[in-house]
Parts: sequence; C-alpha cells; structure tokens
Amino acid sequence: MAPISPKRRKLHHNNDEADSASEGFESGGDDVGSQSSADERTTTAPLKQMQARAKHVKDIDESALYSGGLYKSNMFKLQIDEMLAQVQPNYEKRMPGVNEALHRLKSLIEAIEDREMLPISDAIKMLHKAHKIVVPFPDPKPDKNAAYKLAYAKPSKINVVGSYAIKTMIKSDSALSVDMVVVMPPSIFQEKDFLNYRYFYKRAYYLACIAAGLQSTAPDEFTWTFEYLNGNSLHPILVAKLNSKKTKSESHFEIHIIPAAPESFFADSKLRPTKNSIRPKNGPENQPTTLPPSPFYNASLKSDCNFEPYLKLLHSASKQESGFKDACILGRIWLRQRGFGSSISNGGFGHFEWAALTALLLKGGGPKGHAFLSPGYSSYQMFKAVLQFVSTTDLANKPQLYEAADFVPTKSDTPMFFDGPRGQNILFKMTPWSYELLREEAKITVEMLNDSTFDQFDSTFIVRTAQHLQKFDCLVRVPIPTTSPETFSCDHKPHLASFSGRLFEVLREGLTDRVSFIDIRGPDLPPWSPKSPCPEIGEQSSLLVAVLFNPANIDRLVDHGPSAEEKKKAAKFQKFWGEKAELRRFKDGSIRESLVWSPGSSYAIFQDIFTYLIKRHFEPEMSKSLTFVGEGFEKLLPGYGQGAKAFDALKQAFNSFERQIRDLDGLPLQLRQLSAIDPQLRYSSIDYPLFNPRQPLEKPADVLIQFEGSGRWPDDIIAIQRTKIAFLLKIGSLLREVDDSITTKLGLENEDQPLKNCAFLDIVYESGASFRLRIHNDREQTLLERQVKDKLLDQRTREDAASALSTYKRTFLQLPLHTQSIATHCTRFPLLSSTIRLVKMWFDCHMLSRHISEELIELLVARIFLQPHPWRAPSSAMCGFLRTLLFIARWDWRSTPLIVDFTGTLTSNEVTSINTRLEAWRKIDPGMNRTVIFAASNHDTTGTAFTDKGPSKVVAARMTALARSACKLLKDQGMDLNPKSLFVTSTTDYDFVIHLAPKFAGESVRKSSTKHKFKNLEVQSDVNLELVGYQPVQLYLNELEKLYTSTIVFFHSAVAGSTIAGLWNPQTLASRSFKVNLPYASKLTMGTDKGEVELDKDAILAEIARLGGDMVLRIEVHR
Amino acid sequence: MSKIGDYTVLPLTLPPTTAYPKPARHTLYLRPHAPKIPSESDARSLFVVNVPVDSTPAHFRAVFTKLIGAGRLESMTFEHEKVQPSAPSQAVEVVSTKGKKRKRAANEGSAQADTELPQLWDRELRKSGSSAVVVLVDQKSVESALKAVRKLHKSSAAEEEKWPVWGEGVEDKVPALGSRRYLTHHKMRYPDPATLQANVDAFMTEWNRKEEEKARLAKRQRNVPDEDGFVTVTRGGRTGPARMEEAEAKRLEMEEKERKKKQELTEKPFYRFQLREIRKQEQAQLIQQFEEDKKRLMGMKEKRGKFIPER
Repeated sequence: MAPISPKRRKLHHNNDEADSASEGFESGGDDVGSQSSADERTTTAPLKQMQARAKHVKDIDESALYSGGLYKSNMFKLQIDEMLAQVQPNYEKRMPGVNEALHRLKSLIEAIEDREMLPISDAIKMLHKAHKIVVPFPDPKPDKNAAYKLAYAKPSKINVVGSYAIKTMIKSDSALSVDMVVVMPPSIFQEKDFLNYRYFYKRAYYLACIAAGLQSTAPDEFTWTFEYLNGNSLHPILVAKLNSKKTKSESHFEIHIIPAAPESFFADSKLRPTKNSIRPKNGPENQPTTLPPSPFYNASLKSDCNFEPYLKLLHSASKQESGFKDACILGRIWLRQRGFGSSISNGGFGHFEWAALTALLLKGGGPKGHAFLSPGYSSYQMFKAVLQFVSTTDLANKPQLYEAADFVPTKSDTPMFFDGPRGQNILFKMTPWSYELLREEAKITVEMLNDSTFDQFDSTFIVRTAQHLQKFDCLVRVPIPTTSPETFSCDHKPHLASFSGRLFEVLREGLTDRVSFIDIRGPDLPPWSPKSPCPEIGEQSSLLVAVLFNPANIDRLVDHGPSAEEKKKAAKFQKFWGEKAELRRFKDGSIRESLVWSPGSSYAIFQDIFTYLIKRHFEPEMSKSLTFVGEGFEKLLPGYGQGAKAFDALKQAFNSFERQIRDLDGLPLQLRQLSAIDPQLRYSSIDYPLFNPRQPLEKPADVLIQFEGSGRWPDDIIAIQRTKIAFLLKIGSLLREVDDSITTKLGLENEDQPLKNCAFLDIVYESGASFRLRIHNDREQTLLERQVKDKLLDQRTREDAASALSTYKRTFLQLPLHTQSIATHCTRFPLLSSTIRLVKMWFDCHMLSRHISEELIELLVARIFLQPHPWRAPSSAMCGFLRTLLFIARWDWRSTPLIVDFTGTLTSNEVTSINTRLEAWRKIDPGMNRTVIFAASNHDTTGTAFTDKGPSKVVAARMTALARSACKLLKDQGMDLNPKSLFVTSTTDYDFVIHLAPKFAGESVRKSSTKHKFKNLEVQSDVNLELVGYQPVQLYLNELEKLYTSTIVFFHSAVAGSTIAGLWNPQTLASRSFKVNLPYASKLTMGTDKGEVELDKDAILAEIARLGGDMVLRIEVHR
Repeated sequence: MSKIGDYTVLPLTLPPTTAYPKPARHTLYLRPHAPKIPSESDARSLFVVNVPVDSTPAHFRAVFTKLIGAGRLESMTFEHEKVQPSAPSQAVEVVSTKGKKRKRAANEGSAQADTELPQLWDRELRKSGSSAVVVLVDQKSVESALKAVRKLHKSSAAEEEKWPVWGEGVEDKVPALGSRRYLTHHKMRYPDPATLQANVDAFMTEWNRKEEEKARLAKRQRNVPDEDGFVTVTRGGRTGPARMEEAEAKRLEMEEKERKKKQELTEKPFYRFQLREIRKQEQAQLIQQFEEDKKRLMGMKEKRGKFIPER
C-alpha cells in the first residue's frame, strides 16, 4: 500500500489534467462538447461525486420509506444503491492518464498531413509502400478501376462519445473502452457516396491514413490494432492501447478511434430501412424503388452519422431525468449478465441500444405517441419499465416508430424501433433469434421483479446467466461451409450472417415445437495488426447453435405434417423434408404427411433430426462434422436409457399393495392411510428400482401405515413400540392369508434406542417388489414431547427423547409430505427426476452422501425447478445439474436459509419468519455445532427436519468448496468440459482410507446382484429373499460411526463404493491429561513426564481393521 | 512409564492383520476398583480403562491367563452394558418405594427377562475408550495381576514379545467379526414370529399389570392423607383417575378459550386513540424494518463481493 499523501497529490494532479483535457476538446466541439466537459468537471472528483451520491441516496431513502412503491422493497433498493456504488469504476484510479492519452491522440491526429485525391489502386499501393499498412476495405473489395478517388483531410471534429462521456461505465474483466469519434470532413465525400459501399471504402482509407499517421509519429507510445466495431465488417476502427512502461500496473482502458461521417451530409430519406443503396453491378439500371431494400447497410451508414446526435440525446435525457444514468447502468449490468452486447455476435443489443431505447421511451413509444416512461420515475422503475416494454412489445411484427410519421416500414423478421429524428433503426444489428431471446429474458426478469415473496436481487443483477451449459440443453457446433451457394442479396450480408440466417430458418421449420429457443452465435474476429490484411473466417471455425428443449415434445417420435388434401402445404412439406416425409394413415382416420424418427433418448432424437436437416439443406459433408454437447451428463446416470419405466412399475406395485391392505378384513383398527416415504417411490433414487420374480427389489421401499385413532393404544412410548410388533405380525399373517405368494418377515431395528420405532414388516411380492412397513402412531409425539419437557427426568433420558422426537417428526410427519411433493413435481417436471439423481450421484461420488440426506438434496434440486430464476425451469438434466451446483457454490448457508415453495403459496411474512428463525439459531449456536444447514419448505418451516443429523460444518464447507471448484472448471473449460471430470472421487484430502475387498465394494455388488454368474443359482430364489436389504458395508459403517462418534468423520460413496475415507477430529489430536471417560482410545504421550495421553491412531486403525475382518482389504494412512 | 496417576499401564500387542500390517499396541489402564457405591466384590475387582472395541470376557480371560495364570477371572462387566432393564420399570419403582412394594419390585427384575426383545447381535462392541470392571477370584489375584504388569515393565524382553497379545487363543471362542458378523446380524434381525408374539404378549401382560397398579395407587392416594395430613387431589371421577392425556387436553382447551377471549377484547380497537396507536405502531414497524434491512445490508457488505455482478 502506498502512503496516503502522495496518492492524494496524484488525485489532485489528475483533476487538473482532466480539466485541461476537456477544455482541449471544447475547442473542437460545439455545445455537446461543452456539455460533456461541464459534466466531466462535476463528476471527475470521485470524492465529491460520492458525497453527492450519498446525500442523494439519503434523501431518497427518507422519501422511499413511506412511499414504498418506488423501489421493490427497502432491501432491494438498498442493495441496488450498494451495487451501483460498487460497479462504477473509479475513473481516476482505474484509468490513469486516460485524459492525457485522449489529448495526445487528438493532437496527433490533428497533426496528420492531408493526402491528395488518388485513384484507389495508387492509394493502396502508396500506403503499403510507405507504411506497410493494408487498408481494411469491407467485402466486396473496391473495384480498382473505379472512377472515384480517395483522399485524406484533417478531421472536422474530434469528440469523446459513448459511456465514458456520460459516465455510465461499469467495471468488467476486459479493458474499458473509450470511444473517440473522428468526424471526417465533408470535403472528401460526394453526395452519392452512400451508394455501393463508396462511403465505406473512403472511410476505410481514411482510417488507414490515421493509422499510418499515428504509427509513424508515435510508434511506441501505443499498441495499434484494427478491429470491427461491434463485429460489423463495415465499421473497422483503430484501437489504441497505451504502452505503459512507466507504471507497472497494466492500463485498464483502450481507446477506440472511430471515423464518423459528417452529420446530415447524406440525405435522410435515402437511408431509410426501406431504401436500397447497393445497386447490382451488372443488372439493368432499374428504378431504385423496385430493388429490395438494404436496411443493414443503410443503418450502418446512418449510425456513422449519428454518434453526436445520440450523445446529445443521452445527455439531455440524463440532465432531465435524475434516474436515467443509474437506469442505464442497471440495464448495462442486466444485459452483460445475460451475455448481450452491442456486437452482432452478442445479439446486437448492448448498453448503447439500451440507453438509446430508454432515452427514446422517455419521449415516446407509449400509446397515442405519449411517452412510455413517465418523468420522475426512479432508476429502478425506469429499468423495470424498459424491460416491460421489451417483453410486451413485439417489435418484429409491429415495428415501433418514433417521430417518423411519413415512414412506412416493410415487413421483415428483424425487430425495428425506428428513431425518426435520427433516421435510424436502433435495433438494426439484432437477429430474429437474438431478439426472441432478449424478449424471453426480459419476460423472466419482469416476472422475477413482480415476485413479492422472495428477494430477486441476486438473480436479476448478480448471477451471470450467460454460461451456455447452464442456459441451454444442447449445444451443436456447426462448421461454417467455405463456399456458400450464390444467393443474391441486396443488403450487406457477410457470408457468416447469411449462413446463420439460413440455418436458423431451417432449424426453426424443422424442429417446430420440439425446442422453445434457438440461439446461434458466430465466432468473433480477433483484432488484427494494421500491417496485415483483415482476417477471414477460418476453415476451422464453427457456429455455435444452442437449443432449449421443450420437454413435452422433444422426444416425440412421429411428426404430423399437413393432411394430404392440402396439396400446397403437403408439397412444401415434402420439399422441405425430402425422402423422410411419408404419407401415413393415422388412427383417427386422417391421412397426413408425417415423419417417423427412430426411438431413443431425447438427445438421440434431436441429433437425428438435426443431422438430417443439415444433410438435406446444406452440404452432406457438414453433417458429419457436427459436434453435439449436452447428453454427456445424463449418460453418467446408472442405467441411462434402460430403466426409465422402473419407477412407474414400483409405483404400480405400491398401488396394488395399498389396495390389498385396504381390502384386508380383520384388521384390529380402521386403516387411515398408507404413505410412501422411500426415494424409490418418489422417482429420486440414484439406481432404478429394478425387480423381477427372480431378483426381488434389493432395498425394500419404506412405507408407513396409519390407523384411525383409538384409545386402546397404551399410554406409554415403549409399550406403543411393542404393540406395533403385534400389529405388524397380524398384518403379515392377514396378508399371507389373502395371497399366499406373498412372503412377510418381521424385522427389528433401533435395538439400543427403546424410544424409537422397533419393528418393521418386510413384504416381498412374487413379482419381486418389496416393501418395508412401519406403523405410525400419532400418540408418540405427545408422549415424547412430554418426556422432553419433563424436568424431573435426567438429562440423558431427555436427550434420548429429543432425538427420538426428531426422528419421529422426520419419518412419520415430514417424509410422507415430502415424498408426495417430490413425486408430484417429478411428474410435473419430466427432468426433475433425472436431475435429482444426477445431483445425488455428484454428492455420492464426492463421498458426502452419508452426511447430506437425500431429502436435502431433493429440496436443493426442487428449488432449482420451482424457483428457477433467473432462468426458466430446466429442460435437461445437464442444466438442472449445473444450475444446482451454481446454486450451492453461491449459497451462503451461514446466513441464508434454503426455502422451497412447493405450492407457490408462501407469503413474504412466512419467508421473513423463516429468516428470523435462522438468525435465532445462529444467535444461540454461533459455532454451528448443531444446526448448520437450514432447509425449509412449506411443509416444514422449522427448517431442520432433514438437516438435523448433518451435514456438519466441515461437510457443508466441503460441499461448497467442491461446488465452487466445479463451477470454476465449468467457467474455464466451457463447452469442452468433460462431464466425468466433475464426478471423480478424490481421497487425497482425507487422513486415512479404508479400501474394501472387491467382493463387498459397490460396483461389484451391483453387478453380481443384477447378473448371476451361474445359471443354476437363478433357480434358488430363496437365497435371494433371505438377503433382501442386506448391506454389510452400510452396517459396518454404521457401527464405525457409532463407535467413533466424536473422533472420526467417515466418508463413503455408495455408488463407487470401494473405499471408506476418514478424517480425525482435529480437537482430539492434541495430547491431554489423563481422565477416565475419554471418548477415544488413548496411549501415553512419549517424551513428557506429565502423565499426558494422546489419541492412539494405530490402535484405532487396527481395531477398524479387526472389525472389518474379511471386508477390509487394506488401510492406507495419509497423515 | 508404568503408571499414570493411580493407573497401571498395560500395553497389549496387537497382532498385525493383512489389512493393517503395521505393528501396533493398545494401552489398557488398570486400577483396583473403588466405586462410589461400594459393593462386596470391590476388593477383588480391577477397573480397566480404554478397552478395545472388540473386547469380550474371553479376550480378558486370555490376557489374565497370560499375566497370572488360568482360572483367576470370575466375571466382567463392561461400561454401558445393560445390567438393569430400562425405563418403564424404573418409573414404577420411583412411585412404589413403600415397604410393601419392595418385594414386588424385586420380582419385576426376573419377570422382565423374557419381555426384553431378542438380541440382534451375536457379540456386543464397546465404545472407543470405554471402561470395564474385571472381577477376579480373590483379592490376592488383583495384587498379583498388578504386580505382574509392573514386572513386565521392568523385564528386558523384546518389546514385541513381553506384552500379552490381544485376541490370542480366543479365535474359536468368540463369534467372528467382518462380513460374518453382519450376515449373522442380518439373520438375527428377523426373529421367529412365534417367539416375538410370545415376547410381546409377555410384555403387555406385564405392562398392563403395572398400569393397573399405578391406577390403584393413584386411587388410593386420593383417599389417604400423607404425613402432613393433606390429601393429594387427583383428577377423575369415582370410577378411577382420568388418563393424564385427557386431563392435559382439557387444560389446553381451557387455556385456548381463555386466550381467545382475551384476544378478542384487546385486538379490536374501539376508541379513536386505539386506532391512532395502532397506526403509530405500524409506522414504527416500518421504520424498524427499514433499520433492520439497513443493518442486514451492512452485514452483507462486510462479506465482500455480494454486490459485484459476477463475471
């Protein structure tokens, strides 16, 4: 850290500099220049600015307190203020010397010598000879024998425009860019230059001359590169980066030198989007009106004239409306988080378009030409209203015109917001697909902002949603064909743009309602040195097609086309689909054109269709080099694509089981309810619940039975537990009487906890379905509660009762509700089931599954589906999985509860009370020794039903760390991420690892249970029945955990399963004085005579080995 | 070092296993038994701390055979081992401390043997670091055992050989560990239904008997004055005392009624000043909420990065 005083001096110094610099610009500019400089003067001193802001904020605070409506809620407003204060760069600190650099560049450019008129070929040659500079002419390159000449003359004006000028920049990873506009003098143009690229050729030459001039006078001060402004190949610009050798810190800004056309030099009416400006070369000289329009070309030219007018517009808006600037910053953040930008490849809607749109909506755009935004809106209201405008107005079908009464737009599929006074469609860079996406994003955000229950600040501004794998379901890399079929287009359409346009059309028609969104992104051209020719799109480069599935339709096997009678439509259909289209007669008697796809996973079907479409409509070669990304995650699930029906089969077995129980005669009490509580019965177990007559369900599905209340139950908890045994025996014998193919077995559990449920009944059907029945008696709760409260009992009994009570609440009260909710939502969201399973597998692979209950994981995933903001509910397991990881990585469980709203009926009051409850917990137990994670739902507002037994703080922290590193990997590798790499078990962090003998390790048990080695074993099904529910490793682990509760934390993965890892509790590691009831095996500490003992690791590990016996292969000690 | 505090240290050699071949030792701490509540066998008992988790009497028998010769160990009890059966019986005992009942209470112990649920494990495990009491045949054996240990400490034999080896010679006498143990457990979990039924019946008869007794006792208490001449008032009619739960339910009901009445009185504002007060309260609440939000925000601000959009 530098001492304070020199820093202060520097600041002061800079202030002076800035002022003088802006004065310098004043000379060149007109009123805008002075306006901007005045503005600069007031805002350059960051300290003053902050003070002013703080005061302003305070004023609003006070007024907002009671008015309420200005911002969403107090908290939301406070957060916005905080964010606005943090995102704005400290212009002095981050961009030292920017004003000097601008000043210097200005004087350098003004010093460049004029060049006389030269024919094109001479001009090119001369520049190349003298300066080695290649003129960045746009395609098509100019005709060398053209009659017109190129020239350079001093610019008429040099101005700073863009977000630096109006101070709406935000911090970002990439360098901040300052736009400097160099207005070319009218003297070098002719009136007709807007035609046939002539203006752009002259502009390119002008730019090359500036580059040549700057490079020869100041070669070392800056690094010079050419770049396309916003990816528009008509707009090459020169980028100057300061070579800061003096200061070590890298300068965080670059200056864009943009040649601009003289304002109002070209006639407005000629450059309307409906006019044509590119006349065919060889065609007959038609009247220009009959030629198709060239809106993109016109708008590109027009935008070159409009730098200053827009600066004026934005300035006046920010002067009139105090909230305007902040609204622009909010919009800018919002756009960036969603991956939108001004550049064509980023959708063509960036902060400039946002600001312009806001400024225009302040003046018009509403009904009857009134302003859409009322004056006096706060920044947040303005932001939300603009989103509302974007989401509700379909600008592609209904172009919006602002002050352009005489202009009649023609139909096109790109959106149009025509700014009459400046004669430009501000959305001209957008594509149909980027516009659709933008509207969808706006719609989601408006919904989010209307949510009164949850605070959506994070999902609106903080979460970055642009990550493709989290946003889309399937990504396809499509190679760009080197040659395009010669389609004549009047507009300026580079090869890439026309190809992606055509691809979009084909995909939209071919995929119909299988997908809800298609996004196509082209590669960005990198900046290039002025000495080399403009880069072309390489052979290797490809388009990225991202698709959002519609889960209801994606795996449809038969597409119904038009009926055979509709000749025209049928012919069109046939033409589109070629040989794939066939005429079929359907069950309802209709005869239709149709398409039949071979069955498979949704990805396989999608891939089939996509490949076919490419083959049919583009080069067949291309279809071979398509790369599909997305299925990799789902493929990791055990039994992918095989056992999807297994859950339903078990569910049916459960239903018939329930019927059978209901029909039983002779039950001592009236049956009230039979409820499922097993993951296998709510579509969420990692493994499919596979069963058949020879191979009964390995883990019996847990079911609860509840009888009508009766006074005949004993009024004592232990007696109730014993009575249950008699009941279960009775049920068992009744069931066997009804159906003698049923096997029932009564088992005991919780042998050392007499207060807990002690018996269950295993019921195995002939089909192989097996259930584990427990009796629910609601009397237990009162009895246990009484025991917990009873002050006469000793501490230990009360603790036992408390533990039994929490187990009771979880198994008998929460689990039935939870199971029902999850099962319902699994049918509502087809992808919820596989996402839950994938996330469970992730937890399992990282050996956390013993600490984090399945229910907690289900709640986590359910939240992603039920409160999916800032996205829509996932439509693929990949999205769901990665978003869950992102959620976990971002989740601050120390201070925020997980709240799942299953029915969408939680009120903000309830949410507040849940929050308060968590705060209370943290106050009682700041060390988080008991409750760590707080997961509430509408069934359980206590939030601890499924987190009572863990995870501990260590495990929760590990969960977060793992999720964070997974998200980082995703961010770094993007589409190249290998899904498997997220599921690799690592045991290096543990103190010791117990390797299990292969016979007992997860994988082999799995295999042996599904496939018999010997045929003759299959016949002996009795053996199998005996072993239903036998899990030696789990039993072993349970015992280890009981024996070494406070000493060792054990980790185990049930799926991978060959190891058990352990961590010593660091609190037990220190040596301490001897006492009798140490909770771990100890030995004398060597070397001291104080009579101290320490943890005897060797003895414990030897014990573990003895206990495991033949199950343990070896124990590996790391530390 | 052969002693720590009052305890004599007895290391045991743990035979290496294939899974954990590292030679290891387990430390036992021995002391003559001196419990707070003395009993007759104390003089010939040793208090052993830090027994291995897989300890059985057979294991200790082998250890003491090595130390002081065969046949000296009479019995042993481990910490947490169930000596007295559990809760319900104790509850009754508390109530029935009067002279007459003592005899019956003693009977209960024996009657309960078959009301316990069947064992699910063929071998108990001990918690890590727990203790046990070893009863030897006579007081002399206690002394000689401790002496033998001290002697071993002094002996110059190789470390590996001089200490008793854990589990030596008991291989066949105790049920095996490892997968066999779990398989047996899995089988024992499902006891024979007939035994279970008999067990439950026995338990219920026993329990009913106790319940009746409790009822009778309560009834009697209603009529008999205690030492100070007071009669305990219990709920219920002439036929018998009400069940606790019913009494409680009634009480809750009454409380609820009372509460509702109060609420109705206080909540509905009647006077103008009340209305005004309520409005004031609401405003105060708003301000408080705002202040709380502010505070929360400050808290969030402390954790950096909360307000910076992710990149």
